[in-house]
Formats: sequence, structure tokens, C-alpha cells
Amino acid sequence: MQAAGVQSRTQGSHIRHVAGKWIKVILAFLLFLLFMAPFILVVINSAKTAVEISFSPVSLPTNWGQMGTNITNTLNNPNFSYWSAFRDSTVITFFSLLVIVIASAMCAWVLVRNKTWWSTMIFMVLVASMVIPFQVVMLPLVQWLRMLGNFFGITLSGTYPGIVLCYLGFGMALSVFIFHGFIKTVPLELEEAADIDGCSRAGIFFRIVLPLLQPTAVTVLILNGIWIWNDYLLPLLVLGSNGQVQTLPLAVSMFAGSYIKQWDLLLTSTLLAMLPIIILFIFAQRYIIKGMVEGSIK
Amino acid sequence: MKKLVALVLALTLALTATAAFADIRVSNLKVEIDAALKEYAAEYSKTAGFNVEAYSVGGGADYSGSVKAELQAGNMPDIFVIEGLGGYNVWKDYIADLSDTEFAKNTSVGFVVDGKTYGFPVAVEGFGLAYNKDLLEKAGIDPATLTTTSALRAAFEKLDGMKEELGIDAVVSMATSVAGGMTWVTGNQNFSAYLSCGLPYGDMTVIDQMREGKIDRERLTAYANFVDLLFTYSDQEILLNGNYDQNVNAFATGKTVFCHQGNWIDPSLAAMKEAGTEIPAMGFIGEVMFDDQEITGLMVSAPSWYVVNSQSPNKDEAIKFLEDMVATEAGQDYMVNKAGMVPAFSNVTLEPAGDLSKDVMKAAAAGDIYSWGFGYMPDGFGQNNLGPIFELLAQKAITVDQFVDMVEAEFAQIPALLESAQ
Amino acid sequence: MGRRHRLVNALFLAPAVLSFSLVMIVPFFLGIYYSMTDFNGVRSVLTFVGFDNYKAMFSEPAFLYSFLITVEYTVINVVLVNVVAFFLSLLVTSNITGKNVLRAGFFVPNLIGGIVLGYIWQFIFNNVLTDLGKNLGIAFLEKSLIGNKDTVIWAMSFVNIWQYAGYIMMIYVAAIQGIPQNLMEAASVDGANFWTRLWKILIPMMANSFTITIFLTLTNSFKMFDLNTSLTQGGPAGMYMLKAVKTSEMLALNIYNTAITKNLWGQGQAKAIMFFIMLVVISLVQVSINKKREVEM
Repeated sequence: MQAAGVQSRTQGSHIRHVAGKWIKVILAFLLFLLFMAPFILVVINSAKTAVEISFSPVSLPTNWGQMGTNITNTLNNPNFSYWSAFRDSTVITFFSLLVIVIASAMCAWVLVRNKTWWSTMIFMVLVASMVIPFQVVMLPLVQWLRMLGNFFGITLSGTYPGIVLCYLGFGMALSVFIFHGFIKTVPLELEEAADIDGCSRAGIFFRIVLPLLQPTAVTVLILNGIWIWNDYLLPLLVLGSNGQVQTLPLAVSMFAGSYIKQWDLLLTSTLLAMLPIIILFIFAQRYIIKGMVEGSIK
Repeated sequence: MKKLVALVLALTLALTATAAFADIRVSNLKVEIDAALKEYAAEYSKTAGFNVEAYSVGGGADYSGSVKAELQAGNMPDIFVIEGLGGYNVWKDYIADLSDTEFAKNTSVGFVVDGKTYGFPVAVEGFGLAYNKDLLEKAGIDPATLTTTSALRAAFEKLDGMKEELGIDAVVSMATSVAGGMTWVTGNQNFSAYLSCGLPYGDMTVIDQMREGKIDRERLTAYANFVDLLFTYSDQEILLNGNYDQNVNAFATGKTVFCHQGNWIDPSLAAMKEAGTEIPAMGFIGEVMFDDQEITGLMVSAPSWYVVNSQSPNKDEAIKFLEDMVATEAGQDYMVNKAGMVPAFSNVTLEPAGDLSKDVMKAAAAGDIYSWGFGYMPDGFGQNNLGPIFELLAQKAITVDQFVDMVEAEFAQIPALLESAQ
Repeated sequence: MGRRHRLVNALFLAPAVLSFSLVMIVPFFLGIYYSMTDFNGVRSVLTFVGFDNYKAMFSEPAFLYSFLITVEYTVINVVLVNVVAFFLSLLVTSNITGKNVLRAGFFVPNLIGGIVLGYIWQFIFNNVLTDLGKNLGIAFLEKSLIGNKDTVIWAMSFVNIWQYAGYIMMIYVAAIQGIPQNLMEAASVDGANFWTRLWKILIPMMANSFTITIFLTLTNSFKMFDLNTSLTQGGPAGMYMLKAVKTSEMLALNIYNTAITKNLWGQGQAKAIMFFIMLVVISLVQVSINKKREVEM
């Protein structure tokens, strides 16, 4: 009697368990679909004509070949310069990351290895600056860049050097902070040994310390890379919406901002704008997730 | 490390070398003529001895803000656009005097301050209520009789009752939403009717009053009633959420009888026609905002002017580009045939192809026109301060009286805003 | 410490400190000055107006409304992003097949910029959902959710949750994976059911993560701009204090519009500084509350 009760109870819990598992799988699948839906909608509507989109935005396209036509039309549209925007975004991101990683690693190393009042102060100011929203400095920044440019006789507004300088400055706080946290854990012995071997101070950093920083550098690169690639307001203000240099988000917003809203071309343009980063994500998924999460936890 | 530095230097040099500037950069505000203008600029560059590059900033985008960003970016165009006194005041340090040009003598709608011409009228444009000739005929309504608000109301009621017969969704296609970027239609263009409709051309009474921050309550109420009538009979989805495309498409495909737009939709219509859509015959009636005064004329003006950047080193080339646009056959062909604009210069004799443009030209020739006044409002005022009020009326969230009160409250800020723009 | 040593120190610090000073420190103080002038972005002679710009914003309905909806939006998102993310993290750390695909899928919206996403979602709200609403007879969806002032904040929040939950989820996943496995197993053997384990072990063990995720969602929502500008441009219009206001114009967009569109840079800058002060205050309050709770747990 008792045994049977136990049995039926375990059976019941078994059924519940199996049912629960299935519910979970179905739920997970539906959620996944929900998260993917916008991307799916972009892809299917990029393969439709404007008329098809307005009649049935959710149906599958009748002719996938239309996607080729839309892509060609988008790429050839005089109001959307994809290739040059892609080039500008790449150049800006690349050079900004290059200088950010080197400058912040050097700075963090000096700050960790010199425990004085000024190193503490610099570090505190950097950390404190992280709460300053961009809105506070954006208006004076554009004025100031113009003044600086006039003073030194170089154009900082609307040029690569100008925006790279901005990213270098705005990227410093978080990057130094992340490197700082890591360098603290690097034992001094290595550096001392190199010092005894007659290695110069700079040599110690570039030969001994910098290679050790590689994993942290990946985090810094990813965090800054995603931010710079997607950034909108800073390029809008520093480069201008229609300047010679134009990043991808600017190009898309200029294209979409005109009141003639051609969804076939507009959706195709968003597809083209998303593609590079999605491809990157597919190949470097592990690093990207790890980098972005670590960056926030530290 | 050395290699890296060398690489960086090489790349930097390569990049600065590729970023070559065109000699003349023309910033254009009329997206619909973008392709034609670019083509003309390219053709022109072949023989001019200097390069002209044209680019467009969308009407939904904030134009003045975008030029400002370019100024900040050290990338000021050589020719750009102002839409009136507000823009002139912001930019006056950058606007060259064009009084001595040929084209200034051949136009009556140049941008003039204190007797000096500063702006080249991009085109003459007109707006009103565009109507579908066939549908009105079917309903037995003569557009020539629609000259007062009550006549219009009666016509709307009749058409609304014949929806199924006529195969229409709604009587009017009009759009107001902030999100759809349509506040330029309501807050700027349509509101010009309040500022000048029914007054002699160029009359400044209501505008001067506005610049002192005051309203003419009776006039504004009449105007608000007229707008409310349009909103009531509009396709509500387009009215509240629609963008330019939906607004024009509904009308062009015969889903509405009226459309509040201007003759600048002619090129879009022509493109649709080319793509196989059947475009109905059209015409314009005016902004019939009164019951005690018949309105037959259209709102016609040069809504925007090209100005030449006085601080540009290529100022003379920029002026020559504009001179040639009016003086040469290729330039006139571009303006009238390629860009589908109604020319603003007496020496141009070509006639535009679109129905609506023809009506505008007819009204202009007959002198049956009212000027646009929105350029006299402070920068961004029509779109930012008035636009949302129109949207509220469209939502029926406010009454006509509240509309008037709210416009009055916004007007109270005008003197301060004008002063701060000085 | 030798002179060479000091020289290297200076050279190594120079790029970081100089660039940081040029784009952060100088503009920050310049901004405080601009906020007390009548600067309009173009003119070169400025008039000092003291605190007039600060006073003006408190009698401007559009700004007050922006503040209210920014707070509303922030509260909604701090709660919902974290709840959804926490739920997702439980899902993808349970014994379910395809964990990695799920994680990647939930995470990927975070990689796309707000501008691009805004246009895509504008299409979804205005075209796709209204189409579904009409065809399936769902009255709620027939009218665009971003065209209605009662739903627009929720629609924007939905997009933000979609974009941001996967990221926060990964932070929770890292925290859950950091909890010693035997702790949960021991509790399980002791007969503690799922909910007890969740409340008594998992959540207290993750207190530190909550401090971070709440901080991130709080500042992220409060500063929201990109999505706002491309999805709604601040629309639709609504009424507040008898004035027409844009019912989804959040603070960052209001600041931008004040300065750039209306040419009132001085006022825009004053608003920006007020924005900064508010942000500092609420994040300090949040962090100190969370830290206290961490200790209690």
C-alpha cells in the first residue's frame, strides 16, 4: 500500500518532469523566435518590392532574387554611400582601437607601478569621469575642437584625426580601469628581473608587460570596438551628417531621415549595415560575449 | 614597433590624399530633385573648369541643424539653402550679397533684405488642396465652387457618404505626425495659410503681429476650423502615423479625393506613373479657410533660396554656377524638365509637365496667389512648437478653441526667440 | 627614481591624459560656462546670463514632461530588463539542449546600434504589427503602438528589453556559473524545492551582480538617445500643463533638440548639466542601497 503510493508519486513527478521539460523547450524556442523575429523580418522584406512590403510585410518573399535587385539599388542609391561609409567606419574604428589600447595600457601600467599622490589622483579622476554622460560635454566639445583646430592649424572637426582623438579621450576611462585591474595582479618580479638584466623602462613595458596583457587587451578592444562601430551622436556632431567622412550609422540615418521612406531600400540598407558585425559575431562569438561581460563586471 | 609606426604613417597619408574636396559643394534641401541636380552638377562640371558636387538633406531631417554641424565640422558648403528670415539671421555672417547678378534682376521672388538680394529662389512652389478630377466629377462636384469652408464641408460630407461608390478609403489624405516627420507640412506650410491666405501678396500684417507674439483670434479660429475639417475627414491612420510616402500614395492611387500637398509631389507622381501606376488627372483648390471671403488662389512662394557662402574661397565660382543655371539652355532644361520645378525667373519660358505644377504656374501668372510666411517664424518654431499642437488636434485630444489658445501661448515666446537668434 | 624613469612615466601618461583632458575635462568646464550664457551655436559674442537658463527649464512643460517619462521609462526598464534577463539566464543555465545557440540568439541584438534597430522597429510597429492586427483581428495592434501616447513608452521599453536583456543575461550567467555546484546540490538533497533554492541560495549569492546590472540598466535607460531619435523622434504629440509636448521625447533627445534644432545652446547645456546631476544622484542612491543589501544578504 505504502510502496504503491510512493510509486505513483514518483510516476506523477516523472510525468510532471517530462512535461516540464517540454514546456521549457517550447518556451525557449518561442523566445528564441521572438528575439530573432526582427532579423528575420529584415531579411524577408529585403527580398520584396516596395509594393509587396506594403501589402504583406510578414509573408515570405515570392522571389528571393529581388534581394539582389534591392541590394544593387541600395548600393547605387545616391543618398546612401555604403562602401565609403563602411570604409570610414572601419578606418575610424581601427585607428581608435589601436591608439586606445596602447595609450590606456601604458597609462594603466604607469599608474599601477607608481604609487604616489598623482597616480591616485589621475586614476580617481578617470574613474569618476565614467558617470559623466556624453550630453554634458557634446556641445562644448564641438566648439572646442574648432578652437583647437584653428589654434593648431589642423582641421579636427569632420576629419579622421579629430574623431580618433575624441574616441581616444572618451575611451580612456574604462580602458585604463580595466587594464589597471589586471596589471595589479601581475607580479613585479618579472619586471624587476628584466630591470636587472639592463632592460630599459620602456623596453620592460613593450617586451615584458604588453604581451602579458593580451587577454585583457581583447576585452578592451571588443568593448570599445562595439561602441565605436555603433556610435551615432559623437560622429553626428564631430563629422556632421553630410561630411566628407561618414560612418555607417550616420549613412543609414541620413538615408532613412529623408521623408521619402522607401522601406524596400531602407530595410536593405539596415541589413547591409548589420551584416559586418553579425559576421564578426559568428566567428568571434566566444570572445565578444566574454569581453563584453567581463568589461562590465570588473 | 618601427614597422607599426611606418604603417600608421603610410595609412594616414593615403587617407588624407584620398579625401580630396570638390571645388563647389551645393547643399540641397529638396530631396525630390536630388537625382536631377546631381546629374546637372556632373554635366556642368565637365565644361565649367571646376567641380560641382551636390548632395541632399532630407526635408524630414533638420536642415539648419545639419548645416550647423557642417560648420562645426569645418565643412561648410559653398552654396546652401535658407528658408527665410530666421535662417538669414542665423547665417548672415556667411551669406554673400548677390544683388549684382543677372538672375537677381530677372526674378521678383529673390530673398531681399534692405533692398539687397541675398538669395536665389530655388523654385516657385505652390500648395493647396490637390484634388482628383475624376472622382470629383463622378460625385458631381465642381471644384470651382469650393471656395469657402462651408462649401468644402458640404462637399466632404457628400463624398464621405459615397465612399463605396467611389472606392475610396477616406476623403482627405493628410499627415501630421512628429514620428513620421510630417510637422513640416502642418507647422510650416499649412500654417502659412493663417499668416497670409486671403491677404494681398507680401502683406505683413499678420506676420508682424506674430513676430510681436500676438494672434488674430478671429482669423486663427477660422483657420483652425478649416484645419479641423480637413483632419476630421482624413484617413486617420495616415493622419496620425503616416509618412510622406503614405500620404502621397493614398491620393495618387485614388484612395482619397483630396491631398494636402504641394506641386513638389509632381516628380514623385511622374516616377510612379513610369513604374506603371495609373495616376489620375489632378488640380488644386486653395486653402478655403473663410466663410465670408472666397479663396480661389493658391499659396505660392519661393519657399527656399540658395545662398552663397561669403566666407568660401570659391565664392565667385559658386555664383557663376547659379548664374549659368538661369542663363543657359542646359540649366533651364534642368530646372523645368529634369527637376520638374516651376521656374522663378522671367527669362525662362519652358512649361512644367505635371498637372499640379501647371496649376501653380497658372495661379502665379494670374497673380492669384498668397505668399508663404513660415520663414518669418523663429528657427524650428513651426515644426517644434506648432507641429505637436496640430497633431493634438488631429488626435481630437484638443478642441479648436484649445488649439487657438495653445498657439497663442506658443506665440508669446516668439519675441524672445527672435531676439536670441539675433 | 631617476630622471629617465620620470621621463618615461610622463611620455607613457601623455597620450591618455592629454586626450582625456582635451575631450572630457576642458569641455566639461567650458560647458558649465556655456550653460550660463545665451550662446546659439553660431555667434561669437556671448552674454553672461547667470542662472537664467537653469530657471527657464523648470517652467518649460516639454522639459518637465521629458523628465517624467525618462523616470517612467527608467523604472520600467530597470525592472523588466532585469526580470527578463534573470529568467533567460535561468533558462540557458538549465539542462536544456542548444544552450549556446540560445545564448547567442538572445545576446545578438545588443551588438546592433540603436539607430539601425530604431528604423527596423519603426517598420515593425507601423507596418508589420498593424498588418497582423488587421489580418488576425487583434484590435490592440491595428493602430501603431508608437503612434499612441499611452503605449509609446511601453513600445520603446519593449525594444530596449529585446536589445538589452541578452547582455544582462550573460552577466547573470557568469554569476550563476560562479556559484559552487555542490551548494545547490546539497540544498536539492535536503529537499529544498526550486523556488526555495532560488530565493535562499541563488539570489543572495548573486547580490553583487544585481548591483552591477541594476546600475547598468539604470544609467543605460536614463541616457537613452539613439533608439529614441530613430524610432519615434519624440512623437506622438500630447498635452501637458496645457502645452503640446512630444510624449516620447526623453531627456537626452530634449537636450539635443533644444540646442541643435531650436538654436538654444545655452539652455541645452544647462539642461545637460542638470541631467548629469540627476544621473549622479540616482546612481549614487542605487549603488548605496544595493551595497547595503549585499551586506545584509
